[in-house]
Amino acid sequence: MEIQFVGENLLPGNIGQFLVVLAFGTALLSTIAYYFSTTNTNELESNSWKNIARWSFRIHSFALIGIVAALFYIIYNHYFEYYYAWAHSSKELPTHYIISCFWEGQEGSFLLWGFWQLVIGNVLIRFAKSWESSVMTFVCLSQVFIMSMLIGIELLGQRIGSSPFILLRDAVEGPVFSRPDYLAFITDGNGLNPLLQNYWMVIHPPTLFFGFAAMIVPFAYALAGVWTQRYKEWIQPALPWALIAVMVLGTGIIMGSFWAYEALNFGGFWAWDPVENASIIPWLILIAAVHVMIAYRSTGHSYFTTLFLVYISFISVLYASFLTRSGVLGEASVHSFTDLGMSGQLIFYILAFLIIGIFLFVKHWKNFPITEKDEQTYSREFWLFIGALIMTISCLQVLASTSIPVYNAIFGTNIAPPTDPIQHYNKWQLPIAVLIMLVSGFSQYLKFKNTDSRKFYISIAIPAVLAIFITAGFVYITGVYENLMYIVLVYASTFSILTNVKIMGEAFKGNFKLAGSAVAHIGFAIMLVGALVAASQSEAISLNTAGVDFGKDFDAKNKRENILLWKDEPVQMERYMVTYLGDSTSGPNIFYKVNYKEYDKNGKLKDEFNLFPNAQINPKMGLIASPDTRHYMLHDVYTHVTSVPKKEVHSPDDGHDHDGNEGYLDPVDYTIAVGDTIRFKDGRIVLLGTNTNVPLRDLTLAPGDFALGLIMQVNMFSGEQYTLEPVLVSKGGTEFSLPKVEDAIGLRLNFSQIFPETKSYKVMVQFKEPDPQDYIIMKAIVFPYINLLWGGTIIMVIGFILAIFRRSKELKTTL
Amino acid sequence: MKKNHLIGILVIAVAIAVIISTYADSSTYADFRTAQKSDSELHVVGQLVKDKDLIYDPLTDANYFSFYMVDNNGVENKVVFIGSKPQDFERSEQIVLTGKMKGDEFHASKILMKCPSKYTEDEVEIIEVTANSNS
Repeated sequence: MEIQFVGENLLPGNIGQFLVVLAFGTALLSTIAYYFSTTNTNELESNSWKNIARWSFRIHSFALIGIVAALFYIIYNHYFEYYYAWAHSSKELPTHYIISCFWEGQEGSFLLWGFWQLVIGNVLIRFAKSWESSVMTFVCLSQVFIMSMLIGIELLGQRIGSSPFILLRDAVEGPVFSRPDYLAFITDGNGLNPLLQNYWMVIHPPTLFFGFAAMIVPFAYALAGVWTQRYKEWIQPALPWALIAVMVLGTGIIMGSFWAYEALNFGGFWAWDPVENASIIPWLILIAAVHVMIAYRSTGHSYFTTLFLVYISFISVLYASFLTRSGVLGEASVHSFTDLGMSGQLIFYILAFLIIGIFLFVKHWKNFPITEKDEQTYSREFWLFIGALIMTISCLQVLASTSIPVYNAIFGTNIAPPTDPIQHYNKWQLPIAVLIMLVSGFSQYLKFKNTDSRKFYISIAIPAVLAIFITAGFVYITGVYENLMYIVLVYASTFSILTNVKIMGEAFKGNFKLAGSAVAHIGFAIMLVGALVAASQSEAISLNTAGVDFGKDFDAKNKRENILLWKDEPVQMERYMVTYLGDSTSGPNIFYKVNYKEYDKNGKLKDEFNLFPNAQINPKMGLIASPDTRHYMLHDVYTHVTSVPKKEVHSPDDGHDHDGNEGYLDPVDYTIAVGDTIRFKDGRIVLLGTNTNVPLRDLTLAPGDFALGLIMQVNMFSGEQYTLEPVLVSKGGTEFSLPKVEDAIGLRLNFSQIFPETKSYKVMVQFKEPDPQDYIIMKAIVFPYINLLWGGTIIMVIGFILAIFRRSKELKTTL
Repeated sequence: MKKNHLIGILVIAVAIAVIISTYADSSTYADFRTAQKSDSELHVVGQLVKDKDLIYDPLTDANYFSFYMVDNNGVENKVVFIGSKPQDFERSEQIVLTGKMKGDEFHASKILMKCPSKYTEDEVEIIEVTANSNS
């Protein structure tokens, strides 16, 4: 017998589910129609296929936007009868975080990916001209796969995809779901992971996914070029797209690392976590591809390398999404999605594109315009090729180590990832970075085809020597001299910056065309130096000297970086005098106020600031600590709590009597009139006036009743100001008071009596007992020169933008 | 042709080096008995012994946390972690330690714990804590 459930809103889900199927169908139809439009030699027939494909893609676009709207409508209106809304959102979330709920789950992030691919598809339809049919065949095929992840229907006993519109009662088992009125018991959703409740999490995922989605375009052009036997021509239109993808993906990755730095407490911006690695591999491959694309376009060398790198760049996007979405990383990463049972589908997605590529390559191999000639050693194309090769090796190393859980899954082995990943990766990536920096520096002085070697050596001699002096100065100031490799990297980066600055200078004088690559190289070099200094010279200043001694051996390796701070007891940490001043609650977060003071040699206060690291005692995840950082031009001071004493939770300011005097000292009575002041240890309380129009939540006053509020301002000596309004109500002849509490200072005011003849009022003032257990355990780290990292990134992005302008302008003149 | 062949050989050599390095740096999932015999850091998987002492007293030392864990072969051992106690550690149902033996104690540099989710039984969440970083 069917149960008639009460209060469910099934319409948006039904519409959404219908649109998912429609979007899948139209994507499939577009793929087929574009395929026939490409293969059909009859122009009339080819055009009619193209028309079908276009219309189908238009319907697909509306359907997909409809899916997004339906899902957003469900989350925004808190329809917890839908599993997705229940699992990823809750009622108390502000609107901008509701957007983050949208892509917290796998389904939503696939939807985001599909959405961007759709936008890109429409741009291609508008501008790709003769390439439209062949390129769109691949884009639509990818769209078919993404839509299949959202379908959520069973076919031959196998569930395909996971629908975002599945109902809670279908997704989760429980006795409550046999009640027709079960929704009355589902009062709130699971909520958004507190770590994702961050401003950067609103813009980081869309940026990243746009980058991933855009990577299909150079891939599609490459395969379309081979397929339609336009072996050389595809590179021209693919180049601006590749640059766009590289720029956006790079921005997205760095946003992620900025989020990690600002919101997570692992104390850094990059940790070689598998999920981070998965996003950087496609980025590096595509950058390598861009370099050989330019080499091929200008000289005809490196054809197959170009084709292969563009091809593998998109395959690596698919592999990356397999790593993060299939659950294969399991114990290796804390950040990956949980398994939704779609591994098979993801593998099928990779294999499909892998095989299509191999098939086309094998079939057309004989026709590839591969030159037999070797490049000249003193030529730009040769070093572009070498640069691309070095970047590929860099990827290979990251890929080999990140894939350890995959080997385990395939071969049934039991290998664990490196115990010290940072050291493992840096060992390889540092020398690779040095090589990349050197090549990106000196190859700026090489011309295509051939260069006079004498001239070349003379022109690189100046920056090479100049870089020695700059490096010496920089290394001395920043202190990065404990490792020879660090010094070498600083030198190589400085060299690259100098040579590229020279090129940029020339570009501004006239040869403006070259500015893009020079600016991007400068940005990248600055970024590397910034990352090197900030990561290697970051220093925990919260060193703990108290406690048990473990002997030298142990201490040398594990610095004791957590420190206990009693409330109001200052502790010297390096140059700062640090004091924990107390906590305050705001929503689900507890903010710990930590005061930093810096004195100069004469004991004069030089600098003072407060940091508010916060913690959320999340019922699902325990203590979630988020850091707070003070940014300076040359360094950051970063602080987060690692442990806090458990406190009794009480609801502050509920407007009614707190039971008894728990935790409070004995009250002191004052009789005051408007304008009077009450003095206490830490400040003054002034009665500013009275309020006869007190808003009362659940009381209605009859004629003759009254409610009077006293507007009392608390001025602390430390500068804070609070306003409290205790109220006295007279209803039906009985009087009762509504006291007010300020938790931040542990103050309670109770308005207990009116003396009409003197126009004065009796107020009970109560302070909280000093909490003997009020302390925090925190960690403080200084990151020097981290602004070089962020600044370098911005410069690099500007460089990409210049390059995109240049390459798309070239495109207009040649098409 | 010569130069490109040379480059090809070089790339293959580097690729082999990468694979060797990955293998050399990779660790193994072991138990306490193997850890006793080994000098290198490795991963030990097991469960928290809930009825034994769990020591974390920030008032005397905010960087010392010790507990007992039983590995998948049933061997019990004391574990020391230089750092603060991960919140809700008691709730963990599986722990992955990274570290090595120091005498009778296992000194962990990283703790990864799996906690049962409060809401759905089929979902687990993973929390990772690293001992104070070593720069």
